[in-house]
Amino acid sequence: MNLKIFLFIKLLVLFFISSASALVIGSDEEEIYIDANFSGKNLLVFGSFFSDPSQARDSKSDILIEVVGPTEDVIIRKKESFFGFWLNSKSVGFNDVPGFYYLSSTNEISNEFLNENNIGLLNKKDTQLIDWSALNIDWGNIKNEKEKNSFYDALIRTKESEDVYRRVNGEIDIIDGNLFRSYIEIPNTVPVGQYEVNLYLIIDNIISNEYSYNFMVTRVGIEEAIYSLSKNYPLIYGLISLLIAILIGWSGAEVFKRFRKV
Amino acid sequence: MSIYLPIAELSINIILLLSIGGVVGFLSGMFGLGGGFLMTPILIFMGIPTNVAVATSANQIVASSISGTIGYWRQGLVDFKMGGVLLFGSFFGSILGVWIFSKLVVLGQIDTVISILYFALLTSIGLIMLIESSKVIRDRVRRKTVKKKIHYHNWAHKLPFKMKFYKSKLYISAIPPIIIGFVIGILSATMGIGGTFILIPAMIYFLGMPTSKVIGTSLFQIIFVTALVTLLHATTTFAVDAVLAFFLIIASVIGAQLGVLAANKLRGEEIRALLAIIVLGVATKIALDLLVEPNEIFNISVIRALL
Repeated sequence: MNLKIFLFIKLLVLFFISSASALVIGSDEEEIYIDANFSGKNLLVFGSFFSDPSQARDSKSDILIEVVGPTEDVIIRKKESFFGFWLNSKSVGFNDVPGFYYLSSTNEISNEFLNENNIGLLNKKDTQLIDWSALNIDWGNIKNEKEKNSFYDALIRTKESEDVYRRVNGEIDIIDGNLFRSYIEIPNTVPVGQYEVNLYLIIDNIISNEYSYNFMVTRVGIEEAIYSLSKNYPLIYGLISLLIAILIGWSGAEVFKRFRKV
Repeated sequence: MSIYLPIAELSINIILLLSIGGVVGFLSGMFGLGGGFLMTPILIFMGIPTNVAVATSANQIVASSISGTIGYWRQGLVDFKMGGVLLFGSFFGSILGVWIFSKLVVLGQIDTVISILYFALLTSIGLIMLIESSKVIRDRVRRKTVKKKIHYHNWAHKLPFKMKFYKSKLYISAIPPIIIGFVIGILSATMGIGGTFILIPAMIYFLGMPTSKVIGTSLFQIIFVTALVTLLHATTTFAVDAVLAFFLIIASVIGAQLGVLAANKLRGEEIRALLAIIVLGVATKIALDLLVEPNEIFNISVIRALL
């Protein structure tokens, strides 16, 4: 928690040294560690609207927080009915899709605004979060726009059901009119890698200031040891896995011999 | 209380993991099953990625089948010679199976093909066993004594390369067990299962092995088949989750021992009838998954770098 105190002091210092600029950011973590007990994490993002504490936030200023996770390649498959059987038929490969995406604002922000300002990975369609033009998509033999859209929708829907894509508003706490604070839920299924946090100060529908920083999600301890062994020395990893299975299986039988009268 | 699984990349409740391992282990000890055909779908249902579920349950089956084999071996119910002949076939079958598996992955139809294979095999085997065992039970209830022939001759006796299997009181050609082992090897590698639920009826009905020796012998050969499959997955798909396997193994080994004890208190026909019902239950579930329109007709899979 020393880090928090440090950041709070940093924040206070910034108030006084940079009187002109707006949007001052503190952050809780530089790194999220995945260990054996990892079951998700609440990431704290905090800061102030204006560097001058006397300048209180009014109803026209909003904060927008965007968190983008590391990218991954996915395949979306569609099931179709063949003679009564539901089988995978068409598939689309989406490359460089963010493994995590979160968008939060103090008040509801219109899609038009996000479109105009080209914020993050937004758009194409109102409900969608991804900027499809930035993706490398393998459409296979699908040419129909409507069908393509059904695959876009399916990607978003699936990611939302896994809690890795979220868009919320009103989840940012405002303290004393000028400080803001938000806890962003990072679920236990998130991919490891570098995450980008983008903050925007919006005044009168215009981005007045923005700030970005990165944090890492990394495996540590036994989790890291197991993972890297499995990738770097797969044969040794496989043999160790077998050895554990053999030892436990055998000792299980030995222990139970005592209880059995045969 | 939950634990993070480093390869599956998610965290899961420990109590839930131990319960699943225990129940599947109990059934595996009782019926001499590897339990993979139950373990794999349950893990997938819990949200574990399919490849991790398949590879990790193969690893788990190694442990529970070792534990089970020792139990049967102490009672003199393992025919090592028959197991060895089966294994000879399985070794080549596994290699072919891995090749088929990789072709199906490229075609994107692995899930469907496996589901249909599962359904066809489980339904036919389940029905055959259910009819056969219920007939025996019915005859017993009517106090009819069915004369059992010690030796009955079928096509397996007409083939060359005859071998004596003293433990099973058989003198048959080595070709049928090698073929059975070969088929089991293919199925193990492609379906990620031990294959006992196919092996046991095949040994009883095709080879004419005594039921008492069949379970221990099939468990014995399953150890080696699943060990090979585990190594192949660890080195090609990187999908063996050691943490997941550890908890499943602990619970399933205890469950398997209790299952062996429970099996001793039941007659062969009842065990077979119960197994038939479980097999048919799994087949029904697979059929429903194939036939009922799913809520979500799209599914997503993350492509993991394979070196």
